[in-house]
Order: sequence, then structure tokens, then C-alpha cells
Amino acid sequence: MPYNVGLIETLSMLMIITSVAAVESYNLKRAAAAYALQALLICGLILAFAAGNPALYIWALVALVTKAILTPWFILRYIARTGEREVPAIVGFGPSVAIASVLLISFYKFTHTYVHVLAPTPEAAAGVFRTNLAVALTVFVLGLYAILSRRDAIKTVIGLCLLENAVHLSLVSLAPDMRETALIGIATEVVVTVYLLLYVIAGIREKVGTTDTYELAELHW
Amino acid sequence: MDISVPSNLTQLVFFIPAAAGLLAWLLGRVRRAFAEALALIGVAGAFACAAAMTPRVLRGQVLTGWGLELRVDSLSVLLVLLISGIGLPATLFAIRYMRHRRLLDGDSADVTDRRLPGFYGLYSLFLATMLWGCVTNNIIMLYVAVEATTIASGLLVAFYWDRRALEAGYKYLMLLTVGITFALFASVLLYASAAAYLPGVNAMLISELQAVAELIPRSVAIFVVAFFIVGFGTKAGIAPFHPWLPDAHAEAPSPVSALLSGVMIKMAAYALARTLTIFYPSYAPLTVFVVALGGFTMLLGGVMALAQDDLKRLLAYSSVSQMGYVIMGIGFGTYLGVYGGLFHLLHHAAAKALLFLSVGAVIYATSLRSMSQLGGLGRRMPVTAVCFFIGAFAISGLPPFSGFMSKITIFMAGAQEGMWAAVGIGIFTSLLTLIVVIRAGQAIFWGNPKSADISLDAIHEAPTSLWVAMAGLAAICLLLGIYPQAAYPILNEATLSIAGVLGP
Repeated sequence: MPYNVGLIETLSMLMIITSVAAVESYNLKRAAAAYALQALLICGLILAFAAGNPALYIWALVALVTKAILTPWFILRYIARTGEREVPAIVGFGPSVAIASVLLISFYKFTHTYVHVLAPTPEAAAGVFRTNLAVALTVFVLGLYAILSRRDAIKTVIGLCLLENAVHLSLVSLAPDMRETALIGIATEVVVTVYLLLYVIAGIREKVGTTDTYELAELHW
Repeated sequence: MDISVPSNLTQLVFFIPAAAGLLAWLLGRVRRAFAEALALIGVAGAFACAAAMTPRVLRGQVLTGWGLELRVDSLSVLLVLLISGIGLPATLFAIRYMRHRRLLDGDSADVTDRRLPGFYGLYSLFLATMLWGCVTNNIIMLYVAVEATTIASGLLVAFYWDRRALEAGYKYLMLLTVGITFALFASVLLYASAAAYLPGVNAMLISELQAVAELIPRSVAIFVVAFFIVGFGTKAGIAPFHPWLPDAHAEAPSPVSALLSGVMIKMAAYALARTLTIFYPSYAPLTVFVVALGGFTMLLGGVMALAQDDLKRLLAYSSVSQMGYVIMGIGFGTYLGVYGGLFHLLHHAAAKALLFLSVGAVIYATSLRSMSQLGGLGRRMPVTAVCFFIGAFAISGLPPFSGFMSKITIFMAGAQEGMWAAVGIGIFTSLLTLIVVIRAGQAIFWGNPKSADISLDAIHEAPTSLWVAMAGLAAICLLLGIYPQAAYPILNEATLSIAGVLGP
């Protein structure tokens, strides 16, 4: 096997840690930095997998441009105008870290054990690909948790980015021979969506004076 | 069997509106009329392409482009006709409607004026992305196209840039993107699992996936189906993934609402039908589940519509409800069921676009949209009133309007399958819909204005271009009701082309 298993596992664990940091950090700038770091880790992971599949080098490049450079740049540019402090979440810091940890550990164990249920091919359920899929699904769930539990609109955008990172990472196991055009299509759309969301959130801040999604209660039923 | 014929029409149909959108955005800064004309030309061009493709497809040809990346069969052509056919009157309506400054207060009105070139640019792009989604044959690009429609329409929803519009825009972009990510997961899983059985073939092509659906491991197939339902179901407004819909459809400018409710959710239903029916032959219980989902959606939407005072929110909830019928029909999986579902899709596109435009005309004349403020407009706006009631009768399924024909087909399909509970829910929801729309029509057009802000003397019938657009859609509702055979050739072929149709 051409893969450096130790490297892949280390990077995977670091990915999960950066996800937690991006979700839990009260300082939005630090959260964005954690997110950027995670994007770099994804590039590293894809490069590590590229040892077995040279087509993945271009994937790493796409991830670098869209996830590690453009997306954090948009978020930081926005934060520079609005301030770094997050609107407090529904759950406090302590309980949230506890919930996230339990979620992470149990979900990771679960997916790692039962990954064959979801794996489309036997290869995807073995060795490093198994780790990759389990990490991706765990980050996905953490992203959903962030979107559901955070009140700050920027934090929900970061949650969305985590979600998309997870999907991107899972492609290494699920569809390593996918064409670049499709991949570029997927990655570009995420960046554009994030840009538009931040643009609309900036409008909300201007008109409503806050980025607290709980204040957005004008429309219901 | 079907003959594949390469054709440039498959590309032109979405290139024309996309190019028109780009030009509208650039040239519209020079002169607003350029943007308006280009938007109209773009959608008319798409409609011309659709009209040119139709007879060829009905002769049994399958048009392809870029190898097999683009593929237009009878189901695609139905959707392409529908998108451009509803897009045309909606665009005509938009031109006069968006010029009307009284809809907004001073500040916003100036800003809105300046942003009109951008509006027409995104509007045409929105149409182009929907058309692209209906002609692509690539499962990943189908996801990309569906997400592209969200991106193109996000700023259209938030166009008025006031508090409510921004809130709706945020919810729209966020919820739809999260939802559609599930569809991406499903697409990738489907592609990856099918690729193992399709050596030497591009397994991203939807037309190839059908053959290997039964070979995909059962557990993976269940995830794929569930994720597709969450993903495309969110976009199609299926309960319980619908909360974005009433906000977005109500806060967007009326012509955009007509597109969102009339066409966009239909395109998502198309994506759902394309992908789910791949699994029908090997997973029979799936059909019952889809029927149940349809029943739940129609009932919930109907009940929620009953509780609305805001006319556009009422229509939006009614769209949720009507999508339930489409999903139920497709869920039956039989020829009659799928035929009914597609017929309802066609009928609802015309009827709901008509209703949104009629309410748009009311807003144009009064700047109001609450039932508790309006009243007595029938005397001053007879054409709008007649158009509204044609749309209202059509969606509540009264003969001789289009909704009667499509609903009775769905009910007959349900009866044939012995699913009487589904038929019962359908009939009950029809009654609910009738109550909802008649009550709304009565509140707007009968009696006297309930708000002191409007005086009937100052209200005039909508301008010609507005009611011409409405009258065109009203004519479709009547035609499909009186002479439903008109749609038979294309609906028949489209029904046959949906995979997994079990029998006559």
C-alpha cells in the first residue's frame, strides 16, 4: 500500500480538533482561522491520498484555492467590518464542548464500525479509506450541530463550510476517479454560496443591527 | 426504441438565456430598456428552442449534446417547455411591475431602480440554470445545476433588501444549501456504487445508472434514496423540509414568486422523479413511502394555508400542498399515477403562476397584500378578478379547469392501487384548497376595502402588459381543463420515459 497510514490518521485527528475549535471559539476571527487551518489539513490529506492516485493532486489544488484561501478571506473581510465577538450560542461553552465531544466520539466509533453500510465498494470500507469516511461523516455531523445550535449568523456560515468540507473529503473514498469538471463545479458553488450568504448577512446587519438569527423572527407561520 | 440524435438545441436552450442575462446586466446600466428587452429575448429564445425540440422528441428521438452529457427525452422536453413557457409571461409581467416605484418607500425605491440591470441578469440566469438542470444527463451536474438555481435566485428573493426580504433570503440560501448537500452525498454514493458495475462507461450518466440499480448494495441504496428525498425534497418544498418556501415565495417580487412557485419547485420534483424512479423496479415499498410523503405534504400545506392572512404566504403554502399531489402521483409508480403527477405538475405551474401574477396585479394597484386590508377590488379590477378566480378554481380542482383533470387522474390511479386513504386525503385537501382560495378571492374582490389607506376611486385595472401575461396563463388553465388531450402526446411519452413504470 502506497499510503502513509500514520500521516493520514494524524491529519484526520487534527481535522476533527480544528472542527471543534471552529465551532466552539467565541472569537469569530479565531473560528475563521481554525476553519482555514482545517482547509489546509484537507489539502494535506488529499495530497497524502494522492500517493495512490495522482489525479488527486488537482483536487488538492482546488481545495486550496476555494477552501483555504477564498472562503476564509471572505469571512475575515466580513468580520473586519462587524466585530469579532460571536452572539452567544444557545448552549454555553462547557456544555457545548461536552455535547460536541460525546457526539464526535460516539459518531466516529459508530461510523468506523458500521462504515460498510454506507461504503459503495469494499475498498472504501477498508484501511485508510475507512478512516477517511468516518472522519468525513463526523465533521459533517459537527457542521449540522453548529448550524442548529449557534445563534450568530456567521457561525452558521462556518457550520455550513464544515459541512461542505466533509463532503469534499469524503469524495476521496467515495469517488476518487470523478472528473475534475464536476469537482470544480461543486467547489466553486460552495464559495459563491458563502459569498452570497455573507452579503445578505451584511444587509441584515445594516437593517436590523444584529447578526443574531433569533432576532430574525419577522416571518413565521 | 429511442434514437439518439446529436443536436445543438440542447445547448442553445440554456445558453441563450444565460448570455441574455449577462448582456442584460452589462447593457442595462446604459439603458434600463436594454435589460428588459434582453430578458424577454432570452426567455423567448429558450421557448423557441423548446418548441423546436418538442416535435422531434415526440417522433421518438432523444436529443443529445456534448457526447451524452446533455440528453433531452420527452420528460426533459416537458420541463423545458414548462420553464420557458411560464417564464415568458412572467418576464412580460416583470417589465412593467418592476418599474412601479410605489411598491416601496423612497429610499428603497431608488436603490431598487439602480439594481434593475442586476435583477434581469440574475432573473435570466435563474431561468438558464433551471433549463440546464432539466437537460443534463450527469448525476453530479444535476446537483450542480440545482444548487446553481439557488445561487441565482438567492438575491432575487432578497431583492427588496428590507428586513423581511433579507430574512427570507438568508433562510433560503442557508436551508436550501444544507438540504441540497444531502443530494450531493446521494449523487456521489450512487455514482460510486454504480461505477463498480459499469466498467468502461461513464457512471455519472443518469441514463446508464438505471441498468445497475438492482446491483447496488441494499444498505447503500437506502441511504441514497433517503438523501435524495431530503436533498431534492427540500428544494421541491416537500414537508417537513418546506419552512423556507413560504418566506421566500412571499417576500420575492411577484414575478419571481411566480417562477419560484410555478417552475423552480417543479424542476426539483423532476430531479426527484429522475433519481428516485431508478430504484422503483427493485424496491417496491419505496412507492408507498413516497405516496405517504405526498399525502402528508398536501395535508400540512392545506391546513397552513388556511391560517394565512398574507395573500402571498397563502399561495406559497398552497404550493406546498399542491406539490404533495405531484409527489403522490409519481409515488404510485403506475402509468396512470405518473401521468397524473406530471399532468398536475403542468397544471399547477400555470395555475400558481397565474395566481401569483394576479396577486401581483393587486399589489401593483394597492401596494397591499393582506386579506384583512383589501376588499371590493372586483368592481375596479374585473380582469384581475376573473384571472384570479380562474386560477383559484383550477387549483381547487373544479371542472372545467385544469386541476380537475389532473386531480381526477391521480385519484383514479390511487383507486386502482387500492390506496383509498391517499385518495381520501387528496379529496379532503381539495376541499380545503377550495375554502382557502374562495375565502381569499371573496376578501379581495367583494365588499369594501377594510383598510382606510385605500380608496376604491384611486384604483385602476392593471396595465395591459400585466393582464396580457395573466390572460395567457388563464387560457392554459382553461384549455387543459376543457381539452386535456392537448397535453396527451407529450405527457404520454414523458410518463413512458420515467423509469420503473410498472404497467398500464
